[in-house]
Amino acid sequence: MKGFKPSAPFLLLLPAIIVLAAVVVVPLILSLYSSFTPFRLTKPETFFVFVGFRNYLSILSNADFWWAFGRTVLLLTIALNLEMLLGLGLAMLVEKATRGQRILRTLMMFPMMFSPILVGFQFKFMFNDNIGLVNNALQSLGITGDAIPWLIEGHLAFIAISIAEIWSSTAIFAILILAGLLAMPKEPVEAARVDGCTPWQTFRYVTWPFVMPFAYIAMTIRSLDVARAYDIVKIMTDGGPAGRTELLWTLVARTAYSDGRMGMANAMAYFSILLSIAFTVYFFNKLAAARTQIGAEW
Amino acid sequence: MDENSSARLKRRLLGIVYRIGLFLAMLTICLPGLWIVISSLRPTVEIMAKPPVWIPKEISFDAYVAMFSGIGKGGIPVIEYFRNSLIVSVTSTVIAVAIGMAGGYAFARYRFRSKSSVFLGLMLTRTVPGIALSLPLFFLYVRLGIIDTHFGLILAYVALNVPFTIWLIDGFFRQVPKDLAEAAQIDGCTRWQAFWQVEFPLAGPGIASAAIFAFLTCWNEFALASQLTRSVSAKTLPVGLLDYTAEFTIDWRGMCALAVVMIIPALTLTYIVQKHLVGGLTSGAVKG
Repeated sequence: MKGFKPSAPFLLLLPAIIVLAAVVVVPLILSLYSSFTPFRLTKPETFFVFVGFRNYLSILSNADFWWAFGRTVLLLTIALNLEMLLGLGLAMLVEKATRGQRILRTLMMFPMMFSPILVGFQFKFMFNDNIGLVNNALQSLGITGDAIPWLIEGHLAFIAISIAEIWSSTAIFAILILAGLLAMPKEPVEAARVDGCTPWQTFRYVTWPFVMPFAYIAMTIRSLDVARAYDIVKIMTDGGPAGRTELLWTLVARTAYSDGRMGMANAMAYFSILLSIAFTVYFFNKLAAARTQIGAEW
Repeated sequence: MDENSSARLKRRLLGIVYRIGLFLAMLTICLPGLWIVISSLRPTVEIMAKPPVWIPKEISFDAYVAMFSGIGKGGIPVIEYFRNSLIVSVTSTVIAVAIGMAGGYAFARYRFRSKSSVFLGLMLTRTVPGIALSLPLFFLYVRLGIIDTHFGLILAYVALNVPFTIWLIDGFFRQVPKDLAEAAQIDGCTRWQAFWQVEFPLAGPGIASAAIFAFLTCWNEFALASQLTRSVSAKTLPVGLLDYTAEFTIDWRGMCALAVVMIIPALTLTYIVQKHLVGGLTSGAVKG
């Protein structure tokens, strides 16, 4: 760029680049460095001791870490797939409605307004074994006599967290897929019907390819923010019982702030960053491909 | 039964099934929120009651009164938290939108090399999980002495919002036809004038919704705020919510009331922007 007059888009993007460099990139470089040190908050001098890959090696041989990693991937897989399916179903239900579609659409967006921390609290309240709505309902209906320990038993807690996560994010998929359904021209569907397609075939070969880019937009937006599950888990179980719902992010927070082992936590954080980036790049590429497929300008 | 009436019956049955499905779906969506509102209005005894009391016998606003009457009366400093949340969210939104407008305009109106990669690069900064980013930021902020201040949190939130704001505003500028600005320039406007007098007003509603979206992100953010703020002077509402769980017992009613206080601004704002928001996110997905 030297010797040239900087171009207009470069100048326009400059503020964004400066802010992001200062608040995201530089700190990340710092944390990359500190992931190679035994840095502890209580011992500042350890910041300048270089230990190479020791943190990474001890993480890789740490069973707790792998459990948390696996659980995070499992939660994301379950949640994203179900959110996609439920969102699609919800969008089609609402699209079929002849009256009151505006109200339905607003209701559908309801969970989007809840901050993850509120979602966590709300489901903690509902899944409370003693006074929660879920157990109260089950007991009143006579389905079970005992209080089900939703947030106290490991597997149930994982299910409860998944439900909370899915409840809060299905709306994003539903809204965007609905936008796709509403923007879709009606002629191809009618043509398919005239040509004798079954409803399933119409959906599979006409509607779905059209709606797909919208689903990928939703996926990309979601993957930008996958770590919001941290808030939900933090407040619902805080990784408990006995680490059974520990996700990568809660483990990072615990290692860094409770144990004060910053170097180790930064090494773990890099795994979570790579995970997020992998998700985003994957869906972003899908999105770009889907956009080219229907010939949109990019 | 002839074919006609059996077809009619089938159709009616399908209609009923469809309505039940829709009703159940909407119930699942709304129930958790409604339950919070109801719980915040009923006495704690009723929340704790066994067997459960389904329909509140008495409605009281005690939880809200206690919450806003300050620390002395057993509440948490909600007013301070509310003020912090407001200051931080509004300031960082204004800055993020200004930066986002410049960036979004660049993406929508100019062609430049490796545009797609630059865009992806900007988005990738957003994917860094808040908690992972909080580690180095915490360390840096302590060194710089801006831990537990509004300024520190605002700075972090601007960076958090810029990528997404650019995405949205890019979408809105794309919806404004290029010809309009060109026509204005032919008529003697400078590019700067053409932007402010033609393109900006047209993209205005979209930019407003991008702003509201940024505001909500700040308003709801927890992972960063929980580590970068410590005291009443900078804690925001989502962090304040944890005050209720600090002890072994949880004040469910108080928490519900605070939840309602947090939700109301979010609810109102989201309702206002819903239409534009979807338009901005999906623009470019369909031709035209």
